[in-house]
Amino acid sequence: MADFRAGERVRVRAVDPEGHTRVPRYVRGQVGRIVECQGRWALADECAAGIAEPRVEPVYTVAFAAGDLWGEGGHEVTVDLWESYIERVREDGA
Amino acid sequence: MSRVNDVGGQAGFGALEIEADEPPFHADWEARVFALNAVLVRNGVYRLDQFRDAVERMAPQEYLAASYYERWLHAIETLLAERGLLGDG
Repeated sequence: MADFRAGERVRVRAVDPEGHTRVPRYVRGQVGRIVECQGRWALADECAAGIAEPRVEPVYTVAFAAGDLWGEGGHEVTVDLWESYIERVREDGA
Repeated sequence: MSRVNDVGGQAGFGALEIEADEPPFHADWEARVFALNAVLVRNGVYRLDQFRDAVERMAPQEYLAASYYERWLHAIETLLAERGLLGDG
């Protein structure tokens, strides 16, 4: 279990699954900052696929700089993402 | 592959129309579709995420031509047909 903490930098996995997912295309591969955890919820992808006992994972609010996503804008964009959608960014940026 | 619904950040769709004092429904049939979906989810006919998936499975040209609740009705019909609960016609 990753157990991300507020302020940690995470990268959204650059997935493009066949079925339903709650990862908007505009954050895939992008680096953001954990804001807070919204509790544990059944993974929407597996619920949509009809899996009887879907994985239950923490959902995190992640903030992205609008400039990183759109190339402009000084505001932040926040997206709620299941744990398996994100990975920790190492200190060397990889 | 990304589906047709995933248009966040894409240009070319024009400005969002924001209605003053927008009612929840613009026609009675929309309210019925809303209620029908709630009843079907609550009774376990399908899950909410399966409903979302069914909306996203619409053919792109149909999806883009349909209104919000037309998409809902399409998804309900798809899911009921797939479960053998709705016949042709």
